[in-house]
Amino acid sequence: MSNRITVFGLVLFGILLSGALAYGLLGGHAVQIDEYSDIDRPAKIYPDYCSTVIPPDIAPLNFLVQEDGSYYLARIYSDKGEAIEVSSRSPKILIPDGPWHELLEKNRGGDIHFDVFVRTDNHRWVRYRTVTNKIASEDIDAYLVYRRMHQTHTPIKGRIGIYQRNLSNFDKLVVLDNRRYMLGCVNCHSFCEKRPGEALIGAREKGYFTLFIEKNKVTKIHTKLGYTTWHPSGRLAAFSIDNLPIFFHSARKEFLDTVGLNSALAYFVVDSKTVRTSPEISRKDRLETWPTWSADGQYLYFCSSPISWTAQTKIPPDGYDKIKYDLVRISYDIENDKWGEVETVLSAQDTGLSISMPRTSPDGRWLMFCMCNYGYFTPWQPNSDLYIMDLKATRETGRCEYRRLDINSDESESWHSWSSNSRWIVFSSKREHGGFTRSYISYVDESGKVYKPLVLPQKDPAFYGYCLDTFNTPEFATVPMAATGEKLSRVARGSAGVSVEMPITMATPKADVVPERGYIWQEIQ
Amino acid sequence: MTTRLSHRLSGSVGWTAALSLLFFLLYYLYLWLVVDLRLIYHGGGAIANFPVFYRGWEFFRDFLSYPGGLVEYMSAFLAQFFYIGWAGALIATIQALLLWLCTGSIIRTVSGWRPRWVCFIPPILLLMLYARYSYQFSAAMTLLVALGFVCLYARTALKSNPVSLLAFLVLSIIVYAAAGVVYLLFAVLCAIYELLIRKRWWAGLMYLLLVPIVLQIEGLLVFDVSIANTLSHLRLLFHKPDMTIVTMACILYLFLPVAVLGLWLLRFFGVSGRPFFRGAAMLPRVIALALPFVIGAVAVGLSHNSILKTTLEVDYYACCRMWPEVLQTANRHPRHGFASRVVNRALYHTGRLAYDMFTYPQSPDALYATNAINTYWRLFDTYIDLGQMNQAEYALVICMEMYGERPIILKRLALVNMVKGRTGAAKACLGALSRTLFDAGWATEYLAKIESDPNLSTDEEVQHLRSIMAEKDKAFQIIDITILQELLNRNRLNRMAFEYLTASYLLTGKFDMFIANLDRLDDFYYVGIPRVYEEAMLFHNYRTKSNVELLGREISSAAHQRFNGFVDVFIVRHKQDDKAAFDELSRKYGDSYLYYCLYKQSGMKK
Repeated sequence: MSNRITVFGLVLFGILLSGALAYGLLGGHAVQIDEYSDIDRPAKIYPDYCSTVIPPDIAPLNFLVQEDGSYYLARIYSDKGEAIEVSSRSPKILIPDGPWHELLEKNRGGDIHFDVFVRTDNHRWVRYRTVTNKIASEDIDAYLVYRRMHQTHTPIKGRIGIYQRNLSNFDKLVVLDNRRYMLGCVNCHSFCEKRPGEALIGAREKGYFTLFIEKNKVTKIHTKLGYTTWHPSGRLAAFSIDNLPIFFHSARKEFLDTVGLNSALAYFVVDSKTVRTSPEISRKDRLETWPTWSADGQYLYFCSSPISWTAQTKIPPDGYDKIKYDLVRISYDIENDKWGEVETVLSAQDTGLSISMPRTSPDGRWLMFCMCNYGYFTPWQPNSDLYIMDLKATRETGRCEYRRLDINSDESESWHSWSSNSRWIVFSSKREHGGFTRSYISYVDESGKVYKPLVLPQKDPAFYGYCLDTFNTPEFATVPMAATGEKLSRVARGSAGVSVEMPITMATPKADVVPERGYIWQEIQ
Repeated sequence: MTTRLSHRLSGSVGWTAALSLLFFLLYYLYLWLVVDLRLIYHGGGAIANFPVFYRGWEFFRDFLSYPGGLVEYMSAFLAQFFYIGWAGALIATIQALLLWLCTGSIIRTVSGWRPRWVCFIPPILLLMLYARYSYQFSAAMTLLVALGFVCLYARTALKSNPVSLLAFLVLSIIVYAAAGVVYLLFAVLCAIYELLIRKRWWAGLMYLLLVPIVLQIEGLLVFDVSIANTLSHLRLLFHKPDMTIVTMACILYLFLPVAVLGLWLLRFFGVSGRPFFRGAAMLPRVIALALPFVIGAVAVGLSHNSILKTTLEVDYYACCRMWPEVLQTANRHPRHGFASRVVNRALYHTGRLAYDMFTYPQSPDALYATNAINTYWRLFDTYIDLGQMNQAEYALVICMEMYGERPIILKRLALVNMVKGRTGAAKACLGALSRTLFDAGWATEYLAKIESDPNLSTDEEVQHLRSIMAEKDKAFQIIDITILQELLNRNRLNRMAFEYLTASYLLTGKFDMFIANLDRLDDFYYVGIPRVYEEAMLFHNYRTKSNVELLGREISSAAHQRFNGFVDVFIVRHKQDDKAAFDELSRKYGDSYLYYCLYKQSGMKK
């Protein structure tokens, strides 16, 4: 008897499965539209993939048709190659991976068109005006490494991790997840251009530490390197040491804020695993932070501001909203480990704004940075915008040639990073979901024009409509990271590692008024 | 008659089944009506490990990425039904029933005993955990899955040796993938079975040796987790609010291996596997059958945490804005200051804060000002009601970090963002909420509202909150009551800000500020002067030998009488006897501001 039931069950299951497959294979695609009427506006699609420049190797730009209807069809085509047709009862248009890449590859430098058809409730089809995007000729880097976390920026209990996303599809790999080391915390990460796959990742469990990924080996360094930038040679990494207490605003749009009470720069020498500094980059009377190397490694650009308080008696200190950082640079001779003199590149006095997060393009032509009304932690400054400086023109004319990008929004833009070919940038923006930061990709042409950004594509086009995480510190990578997952976690959990002696303490404010231990290192994660 | 009953008790399976059913019926009723699993769902800022559940593939996919994710996903889904008291209790009871069946089956198979009351121990332990308002449903589910697979193994293992080994391997892979680290329990029980019952030493030892191999190979190949990482999850398996709960949970897990070994050892002492009451007199049989009920009642009675229950209830009612119920529930433990912030909010909303606040325990930080993270749950609604949207937002995101993306938090976060005009952020919260099981309707409704009216100009709640929302920005690290002053400057009709500010002055003894603020009384429609303010004025007059300018108002004769009575007891009748004065003042004036000023406590009236 039981055997009969089993056989019956299997047959029934088989029939249902075949039906589902047949429906999926045939019903989902066999849409013939003989007659339709035109609507003279583009369909509302989400994310907004309209009139932008897309990478020729990007994952399918799945989208959601935000028009009422009972059936949806999207026809994606270009000059060469076969058009892709996707139809669905759901407004989600999920573009097949293979044909998409084929189409993009064949039409590099050309246009790609999206025709959206919707069957209305009265069973008539309408076609919306064609949406056109341009396919760039230049590739984007293969990977994006970013941090995903909740909004607080304070390590309490929640999940936080660094992930590696393959940009040509939707594959995601956990680089380091705090669930793998007792809900610790993961901080910033930075890559060495000349030694692909190698990186420094700041983290914390019982104390701060940094994971140094070198070739196939991971070393735990028992100290925290703040905002880090690799020298192009890969022989050293400069970093900031910051004292950043968090405080709050009672009525402005962004409720969190911070102030750099004290900061300085130092550098980690890879071969000797030592940390050094120089008086020029760790002055007692100034706050130095956000270091970034020039493409040739001859200069270290960073942000610097005079300290306007001698000892902070309260947080935030008086005048915190008057602090404005200049963009400065200092020459460096790596062979002799010699630092030059600090020179101002762009002063806050001239701009009236505070400068932060400078990043040079790998071709050495551009320097992108943020400016906001005060301070330097731009993700929490709603008025933070992206600017670009033409280093070549500046060098040639002797005048600082910079301009505000057209792609800025009313919300904060920050955490930008250049692709290895200097044709793409990725940045974090709050433009769409307020406190929930998303990563955007923009094309930069040879003249430095930055095109309308597209949000990092997701397999589920509705993803950002319900995701309550923030995506920050996005960094392009040309190759996968040399160590991820368990390999990194094992070292993070372990106690073995390298202890380095820090050459500086928090020199300002003076020793007798240094805040208590909790403030010595960054509180912002 | 006695003979017939005795016969039934000793032999009838029906009796056992009926009593077991009765046990689980009582179990269900206790969970539904006494524990009230809705409180565990609510969490009240006290239960941090209650799982979040969203519909959709994206959410599910994440659970496939680590060992134990599948059972965790299933548990998260089922746990959502705690939202409906009776349904949650039914699910929890079925879980306990299955645990009972598996325990019985394993003990019977492995030790050869025909257990009676022993297999009730796991369900009783589970009930004790519920009675302590600890969420261990997911942990119990992993245990259940492991035990279920042990039962399955015991059936397949009756076959030949290679079949047993193959069955163990296949089940190992499944159990580790589905239930995670609890696979260890499965392996140990299977090994015990092979070692002790089937006397296949090689198989038992091989199973134990296979454990690290399965953990390492499956862990690294499928999930990219090492043994060390898997074992570290043992620490995370139980949320540990207190050691008692951890101990009980450990007993729950270790019970079966220990019981099986113990029962097996008893054989060497000549104790047989028969029920000990078989053929015995009537009384021991009755005792044996009643034992689970007695043990259950005693254990649950001892472990029931009534204070935590009241705390959760008070918070639950406050979140539902059921103010009379908040006060009524808080009165169950009138001297316990567990939820003074919530009670004060209820008093405000019932119009009684300025009259009855000292009927309840008060302290200088009883209103709202605090930077302690674990109090944020009880503060976000207060901040919203006051118009402090940024403080509310911060408290909510901290709570989201601590307690997960719970619907109660998402609703409020959406509201705060709508009030602030950050509709994008609000839409993300509503989008997440629309994928929950029970709050999707609310979210969808608001998403439609935003779509048709992005400014939400017709939404009364949003408009009201915008009218009282702080406008002038102030930076601070530690919140203080000057923010309330800002709120009053923004909207002088913000009665909650006024009453909270005044109450803060009184609790901290800032009489000058209190007096300076009194002219605002005219902005609100009080009948006379609220009682607490009258007492404060009289106390101030008495202390400073002056008279507060009442601007045409009059202190009631009842207030004068109470004040004089208080002074009479303290100064005249018990001048030399502090103890007697304290006793009498507590009895008669323990709910007055005067008493609070004197003893720094309140809510003492007997």
